[in-house]
Amino acid sequence: MPAVMAGPRTALAVRGLSKTYAGNLALDSLFLQIRSGEVHALLGGNGSGKSTTIKILAGVVPADPGGELVLGDSEPVGAHDWTPAKAHAAGLRFVHQQPAVFPELSIAENLALGADFPRGAGGRIDWRALNARSAELLERYEIHASPKAPLASLRAADRCRVAIVRALQDRDDAESGVLILDEPTAALPAAEVDHLLEALRGYAAAGQTILYVSHRLDEVLSVADRVTVLRDGRKVDTVEAEGLREADLIEMIVGRPLDRVFPSAPLETTEDVALTIRGLRAGPLHGVDLTLRKGEVLGIAGLLGSGRSELLRSLFGAYAVDAGAMKLDGKDYTPTSPQAAMKAGIAYVPEDRQAEALLSGESVRANLMAGQESSYFRKFLYRHRLERSDAQRSISDFLIRVVSDAQPVETLSGGNQQKVVMARWLRRRPKVLLLDEPTQGVDVGARAEIYQLIRQATEQGTSVILVVSEPEELAHASDRVAVLRGGRITTVVERPIDAHKLTELMNSSEGTQ
Amino acid sequence: MTTRSRPRPDAVASDLPAQRADDPVVTNTAASGATNAPDGPPVVRRGPQHTVAAFGSRILRQYSLVFLLVASFVLYSTWSKTSSVFLTGDSLRVMVAGQAVIGVLTLGILVTMVAGNFDLSVGNIAGLSQIMTATLYAKHGFGLWEGIVAGILIGGFVGGINGMLVTILRVDPFIITLGTASAILGFVDWYTKDQSIVNGIPAAISNFGKDNLLGIPDIVWVLALVAVLVYYLLEHTPYGRNLHAIGSNRAAARLVGIRVERSIAMAFVINGLFAGVAGVLMLARAGAGNPQIPPTLALTALAGAFLGAASFKVGRLNVPGTIVALLFLAVNITGLQYAGVANWINEMFTGLSLIFAIALAAVLSKERTVKKTRKSA
Repeated sequence: MPAVMAGPRTALAVRGLSKTYAGNLALDSLFLQIRSGEVHALLGGNGSGKSTTIKILAGVVPADPGGELVLGDSEPVGAHDWTPAKAHAAGLRFVHQQPAVFPELSIAENLALGADFPRGAGGRIDWRALNARSAELLERYEIHASPKAPLASLRAADRCRVAIVRALQDRDDAESGVLILDEPTAALPAAEVDHLLEALRGYAAAGQTILYVSHRLDEVLSVADRVTVLRDGRKVDTVEAEGLREADLIEMIVGRPLDRVFPSAPLETTEDVALTIRGLRAGPLHGVDLTLRKGEVLGIAGLLGSGRSELLRSLFGAYAVDAGAMKLDGKDYTPTSPQAAMKAGIAYVPEDRQAEALLSGESVRANLMAGQESSYFRKFLYRHRLERSDAQRSISDFLIRVVSDAQPVETLSGGNQQKVVMARWLRRRPKVLLLDEPTQGVDVGARAEIYQLIRQATEQGTSVILVVSEPEELAHASDRVAVLRGGRITTVVERPIDAHKLTELMNSSEGTQ
Repeated sequence: MTTRSRPRPDAVASDLPAQRADDPVVTNTAASGATNAPDGPPVVRRGPQHTVAAFGSRILRQYSLVFLLVASFVLYSTWSKTSSVFLTGDSLRVMVAGQAVIGVLTLGILVTMVAGNFDLSVGNIAGLSQIMTATLYAKHGFGLWEGIVAGILIGGFVGGINGMLVTILRVDPFIITLGTASAILGFVDWYTKDQSIVNGIPAAISNFGKDNLLGIPDIVWVLALVAVLVYYLLEHTPYGRNLHAIGSNRAAARLVGIRVERSIAMAFVINGLFAGVAGVLMLARAGAGNPQIPPTLALTALAGAFLGAASFKVGRLNVPGTIVALLFLAVNITGLQYAGVANWINEMFTGLSLIFAIALAAVLSKERTVKKTRKSA
C-alpha cells in the first residue's frame, strides 16, 4: 500500500512519470496527487508536458518504464503498459477538447453512442428504454432538455455537458474515478464558458474528482481547488488555488514576471489622429464614432456578438457598410474592398486563423508573401531569390521559429503560425493594423512575443485597433479601451485601465437605447 | 467563433519531413498554444529523422512514380511478348504522340485544379473545338491560321462560360461543368447532324499531325510548349501563386487582397483555351472532323493530374509530376496492348490509376497526421 497521508483520500496518484519522444524528454519524472473530490487543474504552455500526461493516463501513449499510477486504494501499477481499456476499468473518464458529439442526432442518440443502444426484439433499438434512460441522466446532471431533441438545439455549453454525461453515464456512483477534461472550453464562446464552469462546480460539490486541463487562467482560478503547473516537462509546483492571482500563474507558467509579458506602453501619447470613424453603420453596428490616435493601441471591449469583429471587417472593406464617414490621415477613406483598404495602408488579422488567414499546405514563405507576389515579378521573371531573402529577414525580424522558409506552415505551432500571419502584415508597415483576437490559441510565452511585435509596430508609427475577449489581457495591452455595446461605443476608458471595470462596462445596460 | 487549429483531414503530405520547428515539439493542435521557448534564437535540432535513411525514404516517395515509370519501361523493353515492338523509334513516337491531346488537356485542367476547382467538360470542349474548326475550314473557307486561332478561342469562350457560372452562381464546379459537358454534346450532335467532315481540312493541319521535327512528332512539341507555359504560369507568376493561395484557403486569399472570383474565372478561360489547343491537335491527328467525342477524356485528365500530385512536390499538383504521370499511363497502356491485352485495358488502367492516385494521396496525408500527433506532447 502506498503511504497515504492522513488527510483526504487520494483518487489518483502519478509517480515518477517520464516520457521520451525521439530522444527528447517531454515529461520528466512527474509526481502528481489528485485528491478525491477535488478539482485539480493542470496548467502549462505548449510542450510543457500536459498533453503527454493526459495521453499517458488515457493509455494512448506508453510512458517510459519506471513510472507508476495509483488509483484510489489499489496497488500501484506500471504506467508503461497502461491501456485505454485499463484506464476505463479504473474509472478514468476523458472528455477531449473537441468532444465527439453529433449535432444532428438527438441527445439520447448521442448518449447511446457512448454506451450502447438498448435492444428490443429482433435486435431493433428500444427507443422507449433509451429515452427513459436518457431522461433520467439529463435530470441527474441537471440538463433541461428532452432526450428526443436534436443536440444542436442545446446551447454550446450544454452540448459539452452532454459529452461529459456520456463519459460518466456507466458509473454507479458519483464519487468513483476521475473525470479528465482536456481544454473543455476551447471550442466554447466566452458567454458559454461560465455556464459550463458552474456545472463543473456542481459535479465537484457532489463528490466528483476532476482533472481539468486548460490554458485559460481565469477559468482555472474560478473552478479549481488546486493547481499544478508544468513547464518544459517538469512540475513547477502544486499550489492551492485560493488567493492565487492570474499574475502568479503566468509567472509560474512562463518563468518570468508579468510585466515582461505585456510590455508597458510609452507614457507620452500623441494627439495626432490616424483614423476617425463617424456614424458607422454596418450589420450590428448602429453608428460607431471612434478616433484612433497615431501609434496607440486602442482596445475594443465588447461581448460576443457586440459587433466587434464586424467593426474591424468593415474598416477593412470586408463587410458591407451602410453609412458613415471615415478619414485616414485626414483624407476621406471609403473601404470598398480589401484591395482598397490595403492600398490605403490598412492591415487586418482575422479572428479565425485556420479558416481565414493561413494558407495551409503552402510554405511559410508563400504565407508571408501572400498578396504581395506581384512586387517580385519584374520583366516576366519571378524573383524567387529576392523573395526568399525577404522572407528570411521577416522570419528573424518577427521572431518566427522555423527550420526553413520552405517548411509547410501547418507544421508550425499555433504561436508561430500566428506570428507568420502577423508578419505578413507588419512587414508592409501598415498605417493601421486591425487585430481580432491575435492571441487566440497561443500560450503565454508566444503571447508575450506577439505583444512585443505589436509594440514594435506602434513605435514605428503604426496605429492598432485590438479586439481581445479577455478583459485582463485587453487592459494590459491597450493604451485606451473603447467599450462597444448595442452597436455603439458607450465609453472610452483611459489609462489606468481596470479589467473589472471593463467587464462591468461591457455587461451593464446603462447608456444603451 | 473560434476554431482551434486541427490537422486538415484533406491535408496531403509535403515534400519536407515533418520537421521540428522549435523546442521541443511541433504540434498540430494549436489549441494548447505555441512553443515554450520564447527566448533565444531558433533552435534546429537534428534528430534521428534527419538520417540517410530518412533522406532515402523522402527520395523514394518523391520519385516513386519516376521509378515505376522506368521499371515499366524496362519491363516492356525486355519482356518477350513486347520487346520486339516496344523499343522501336516508331512505337515510341506513336506512344508519345498518342499522349499529346490528353497531355494538353491535363495541363489545362491543372490550372483550375490548383485553385481548388476542376472542369469535367474539358474533353467535350476539345471535341467541340475540333469539329467547329473542321467546319470552319470545310464550309466557311477559313485559312490555316484563322482556323487554328478560332478553334482555340472557341475553347476559351466555353471556358469563360464555365468560369462565369461557377463564380457568379457559386455552384460546385462539378455540377456546372458536368452540365456544360452534356450541353456541348447535344450542341455538337445538332450542329453536325452526326456527320464527319472529311473533305476540306487543310493538308498542313493533317500533316502536322503526322510529321516529325528532329525525330519527335510535331504535336509532341506542342505538348512540350504547353507544359512549359503552364509550369511558368503556375510557379513563376504572381497569378499562379494566387491560384495556389485560393486553392489552399479561399477566405484567406480574399483577405490578403486576391481577387478570388476573377482569378477563378480566368483559370477556367485558360483551361478552355488549352482545351481548344487540344481540339486542334485532335483534328490534326485524325485529319478529319469527328462528331463522336471520346467520353473518357476528362476523366483521364483528372487521373493524370492526381497521379502527378504524388511525385516531385508530393501532395501538390505540379507540372513535372503530371508529365511523368502521363508517360507512366502511356507506357503501361501501350505495353499491355502490345502484350496482347485488348483495347479495354485503356479505360481500365486509367480508372484504376485514378483510384490508386487518390488512395495514395489519402495514405500519405494520414501518415503525416499520425506522425504529427505522435510528436505533440
